[in-house]
Order: sequence, then structure tokens, then C-alpha cells
Amino acid sequence: MGRPLIHRSPMPGLGLSMGITLTMLSLVVLLPIGALLVKGAGFGIGNIWETVNRERVWAALFLSFRLSFFAALFNLVFGVLLAWVLVRYRFPGRRILDAAVDLPFALPTAVAGIALTALYAPNGAFGALAKEIGWKIAYSQWGIFIALVFVGLPFVTRTVQPVVEEIDREVEEASATLGANRLHTLIHVILPMLTPAALTGFALSLARAVGEYGSVIFIAGNIPLVTEIAPLLIVIQLEEFNYDAAAAIGIAMLVISFAMLLAINLIQVWSRRRIGYV
Amino acid sequence: MHIEIDEISKEFGTTAALHPVSLAIPSGALVALLGPSGSGKTTLLRILGGLEFPSSGRVRFDGQDATGLSVQDRRAGFVFQSYALFRHMTVFENIAYGLKARPRATRPARAEIARRVGKLLDLIQLPDIGARFPSQLSGGQRQRVALARALAIEPRMLLLDEPFGALDAKVRKELRQGLRDIHDETGLTTVFVTHDQEEAMELADLVVVMSMGRIEQIGKPADIRARPATPFVRSFISA
Amino acid sequence: MSDASLPRFRSVTTETPLARLVLIGLAAGGVALLVFAPLIAVFAEALAKGWMAALESLGNRDARSAIKLTLIIAAIAVPLNVAFGIAAAWFITKFDFRGKAFLITLIDLPFSVSPVVAGLCIVLMFGTNSLVGGWLVANGWPIVFALPGIALATMFVTFPFVARELIPVMIEQGRAEEEAALTLGAGGWRTFWTVTLPNIRWALLYGVLLCNARAMGEFGAVAVVSGKIRGQTATMPITIEMLYNEYLSVAAFSMAAVLTALALITLLLKTALEIRHADALAATHRH
Repeated sequence: MGRPLIHRSPMPGLGLSMGITLTMLSLVVLLPIGALLVKGAGFGIGNIWETVNRERVWAALFLSFRLSFFAALFNLVFGVLLAWVLVRYRFPGRRILDAAVDLPFALPTAVAGIALTALYAPNGAFGALAKEIGWKIAYSQWGIFIALVFVGLPFVTRTVQPVVEEIDREVEEASATLGANRLHTLIHVILPMLTPAALTGFALSLARAVGEYGSVIFIAGNIPLVTEIAPLLIVIQLEEFNYDAAAAIGIAMLVISFAMLLAINLIQVWSRRRIGYV
Repeated sequence: MHIEIDEISKEFGTTAALHPVSLAIPSGALVALLGPSGSGKTTLLRILGGLEFPSSGRVRFDGQDATGLSVQDRRAGFVFQSYALFRHMTVFENIAYGLKARPRATRPARAEIARRVGKLLDLIQLPDIGARFPSQLSGGQRQRVALARALAIEPRMLLLDEPFGALDAKVRKELRQGLRDIHDETGLTTVFVTHDQEEAMELADLVVVMSMGRIEQIGKPADIRARPATPFVRSFISA
Repeated sequence: MSDASLPRFRSVTTETPLARLVLIGLAAGGVALLVFAPLIAVFAEALAKGWMAALESLGNRDARSAIKLTLIIAAIAVPLNVAFGIAAAWFITKFDFRGKAFLITLIDLPFSVSPVVAGLCIVLMFGTNSLVGGWLVANGWPIVFALPGIALATMFVTFPFVARELIPVMIEQGRAEEEAALTLGAGGWRTFWTVTLPNIRWALLYGVLLCNARAMGEFGAVAVVSGKIRGQTATMPITIEMLYNEYLSVAAFSMAAVLTALALITLLLKTALEIRHADALAATHRH
């Protein structure tokens, strides 16, 4: 013990860089979040609970979380597949596919929202096909699901790709020399090596989806208790100037966000300790 | 198991890693493939193990053509230069891997697998590390686990790629003796690759000196020292 | 011995050709469905009534002020976040101190907070009925429902981008070169400009591209903070929403097409960067 808070170093710029970092971090991120927490404290835990503990709010929170969970699950499976194909195989158009994976990251959420709605509405290219078999996609929970899959798509792939790139071929060869066929090697040797990164990607995808607004708001239908997402509730409260209620729901969502962050960090700590890498 | 290498050659694109080489390895011998980097020794070893496919020539095990035999079917225990242990599995699970990977028909019962792993841990003189992960082991311990893992599948031969390369001098000496002991105890035909001539001379029954994809000389260590066949051998051995 | 009949050989570290084909097909099909289809939809809807209609809708007054506002916001938020990103990366990678992991987690916070919650935070802090906000509005400096609020909300949401790109790269590059420069007598700023900056320029560019794309496209946080005042506080994404809700499909999608084109150019530049400078971006595949 007795490690100093900061090691003295001849490297210049400590004061300036630390100053800028902490100042901007406080002004832009910490103080606004603090304002939310202060507002909530002012409102009182009891009142917060009372606001959140209404059917409409629970429904919205559950909806956001449940659909985000399934979307992240889909992205987990598809993302690992995508990472494998992009790293291990060579085929025409591979670079385009690789770049396309980043589109949900670079595209404005509102643009994604209206584009997906145009596709999956009953008169849209895919929506019309779905209508033939009696399946309503847009303005239902399916629409929300697809939008959430879209926004979370890059996370698993991008976290898993570097790990696939670093897989030591000799480990695969070792598995073969020990008599395992390719499927056995994939399941028992390769997939476990990808698990920590895949889980991290899953949690990131989930965190992103739970708070998503722009991509979902157009395709959702926004019917309370059925297709109303939690962020929309906050917006509605603000439009009616119910700042306390908005803050209450906002804090509930913040708690969920922090839980996600914690989960991600725990995964990485566990993985580092057990396997020696992340 | 008697190994016959018959005019094996290997080209990577336009580079010839191995010019046609022939070699007969008697059953139960401990053989060193000795040479500098680029001599083709590792390529030859990998061809024996089925990890590379020869451009021409044949490999025979006990007289039967094994050139087309898949890696899985070859039952060649292979120890990689980097050991290639499965980092997410314990030492026990690593060693048991080959046995568990067998199809149900030939897979031993769980208790039997545990028994065999225990015996192997005793053989490599590390009876207590079964529950540890590779990241918690030293280099020398990892090498021995890799050896035990290869032995677990009851191989017909043992192939080792620079088995002592990454270790410091003291550990090397101990492991050399360990390998000799294991070889004597199991009686397996063993082939190892090295660039260290002292190691080859000390350990092997038969030394194959290679350079630039060709075999320069084959013989017992004493014979090679006494009568080097080419100038290359003479300078390499005395280095 | 003749080797006319050498048996077929497949590498042990890959799948059968059929399996590969199926996997590639699934991957490509999924991406086509999920990513390419919406892309095409944007342009198809924008051009539904022809080029002229699309271009006209972009020329009207509200559209032009939306574009102008979006550009101004990006011009404010991106440089400030770049300054932060460089400062934070320098602080974190060149010095040793306790609580580094905690600091990095704090910097990453905006990533896991919903943009609507971000906007809410800013409204609560600077809105007219808060202490700070009330005072500012009274003195003629409104934050919420005005440009500064939108800029702040945009900064919040794009806060970690540049730092996250720079930190892994700077960790991997180490401190040796900077230390060498110091021993040769270079001062702090000179060391930074002549040694550090050239080493991180591609990662920096990459971070700037991402930060910019997100800044220009931010919707949720801005929707809460801006008040959506047409011609004044309506950015491009907000305008897209308003046009869409008024069933002005061509106008909405035309503006969306502009932002989409920007996103595509961003991706193109990013791919070009990666092809030419893969090693300099080594550690940046961590979103």
C-alpha cells in the first residue's frame, strides 16, 4: 500500500491534460447526470417509486428490456457468424460486407427509423410480403425487434472480430491431431475462446437497444402497454412539463444503464482472471 | 511403429521447402531432425503428422501407405512449439481432450478417463496441477502438459516441434532427461525437430542433419561426429 | 514410385467448401436484408417523384436552415470533443495514477445512457426552472430550446468517440518515442506536435469521422432539448421527423438521403483508412 495517487513523471502536460479532461468530463457528462439525480432526490425515493410503479411505466420498461434482450440475442448469434465469415473466409465483396456492418453505427437513428418503417409497413417491400401470410411487422413488437437488431448489429461482430483474428491456428491443429473432427473443434475449442468477447458485445448491444429512441419511434406504433417504449414515456412527460415524472423514469433507465455497465465490467474481470485474456 | 518416408517433397508456391527426401525410421527410435531454420525439418515433421500435404512422395506406417490419412486418423501425438494448450480448459481437461473427442463407441468411461489422466500427470511428475489453467503454469510445466495431452490418445508415434525452444537452460536440461525417460518407458517412435546440435546429439538414437530442404546426413550421433559427410555437417556440428 | 493418384487434402483449420458457402450465404443474406435494404429504401423513397422533387424539397427555407444548423452544431461539438479526446488520451496513457479504470468507465458513460435521458439531464440542469438555467435565461443566454443546448446534448452523446479511438492506439504505441524526444531537448508541445500527433493521425481521423457522423445524426437527445422550433432549432434529423409526421414523404426521405450519403462517405473513408493504415489502427476495433 502507499501507492501515490499519481506518480510523478517528467512527461509534460499533466496539469493541462488532467485539467481539460476532468473539467470537460464534469461539465458535459457528470453535472448533467448529477442534475438528474438531484432532481430525483428532491422528488424523493417514495415518489419516484410511485411514479414508476404504474402499469404503463412497467409495461414500457419491460417492453424495452425484453425486446432489447431478444434483439441482442439474435445479434449474438448472427454477430459471431459474421465475425467468423469476415475474418476466416475470402470471397468477392468481403470488404463491402465488412464496411456494411458499421452502417448502423454511422447512420442517423431517425433515418434508420423511417427507412425501416418504409420497408416493413403494410405497403412496403417486405411488409407487403408479410401481409400475405398475415404477419404484421411495422407498428407491432416485431417492428421494434427488427429496429433494435439493426442498431445493435455492429457490437458483437466488432468485439469478436479481433479475437477471431488472434486465434492461434496451432490450437486448431492440436485439436485435430488429438482426433477431434472440425465440428468438435469449433464447439469445444473455438467457441469458448470467443465467449468473453461475445458476451461483452451482447451486453453492449443490449445497453444500446434499451435506450434507443430514433430508430424505434417511427416503426413502433407507440400504443401504451403494447408498443410504447420507455424513452417515449420520458418524452411525453417532458412535453407535458411533468419534470418530476420524467426524472423518475429517467432515473429508472439510468439504473438499468449502470447495471449493464457493471455487467460488462464483471464479464471482463472474470474472463481476465480465469482465462488470462479478454 | 516403423516409419518410411519415400521421396517426399514439398513446394510452397515456387519455393521448394523440401526436395525429395527419403528416410527410414526404425520402430521405437528417438530421432532428431537437426538443422538451421529454413532447412525443411519442421515441414517434414508436419507432413508426418498430416498437417501438411506433400507435393509428391509417400509416407508409410508399418508398411501401409498413410499419405492420404487424415490428421484425426493418424494417431500421431503432436507437441507444438508454442504448446498450443487450450487456454479456457484446465490441465485435466486439456489432457482428457483427445479421449473425450472420440466417438461414443470408442470413448472410455468418465472414471476411466480420470484414471488415465491421473497416470499421465504422474508420468510427467506434476500430479497436483490438474485443476489449474495454462495461464497459471510456467513454461516448463506447459511443455510437460502438452506432452501428456499428446500421449493421452495412445499415439502410434510422438512428434515434437522444437520442444525445448522457449525455455531457459536449466529447465531445458531437466526436460531433456524427462523426454528420454518417457521415451524409454513408452517405447514410442519419437521424432523431434531442433536447431540445437548439442541437444540432438545428447538425446537422439538417430540424427538426421538437414539443410535447405535436403538431408545432409543420417546416422548415430557418434558416427556423425566422427565422420561428417559434408562440409555443412562438419561446420554445423562443431558450432 | 509414381504419385499420379495423390489423395485430396483439406486443411484442418477450415470447414468444408459446402459449409463455407452456407455460412457466407447466411452472413451476406442477413446483412443484405438488415443493412442494404433500408439503404436502398431511403433513396427509393427520396426519388419516388423524381430528382427534381427531391432537390426542390432540399432547397426550401426550412430545409436550408436545418442543414445550416446541423453543420454549425457539428462544427462546435466535434472540435471540442477532439480536444477532450486528445487531452484525455494523453492524460490516461502517458501517466500512471490510481482510478484509471474508473475514469475510463466515466468517459464511457454516454455510451450506455439513452440519448433521451441525456437530453433530459440537460433540460433539468439548464431548463428555465432550474437554478442555473433560470439565471442564464434571465441574462439572455438560453440553453435549452436554443443552440447551446443542442450543442451540449450533441457533445454529451458523442463524448467518448475520439477518446476511445485514441486510447488503445496510444497504449500500444507506448511512451518511448515521447521520452526520447524529451531527452533530445524537445518541450511538451513540440513533442506532441512532432512525435505523438503523426503517430496517431489515422486513429484520430477515424475518431473524428465517427464523431462527426453521430453528431450530425443525433436525434433522441436533440428532440428533447431543442423544442423543435422550425427554422431555428430544428436540426436535420428533427426536420426529417417533422416532415415524415406530416406525410411529406419525399421531403423527409430527401433529407434522409443527404445524411445517408454522408454516412456512406464516412464508411468509405474509414475503409480506405483501414486498407492503407491497418497497423496504425491496430487496436481500434473496439467500439
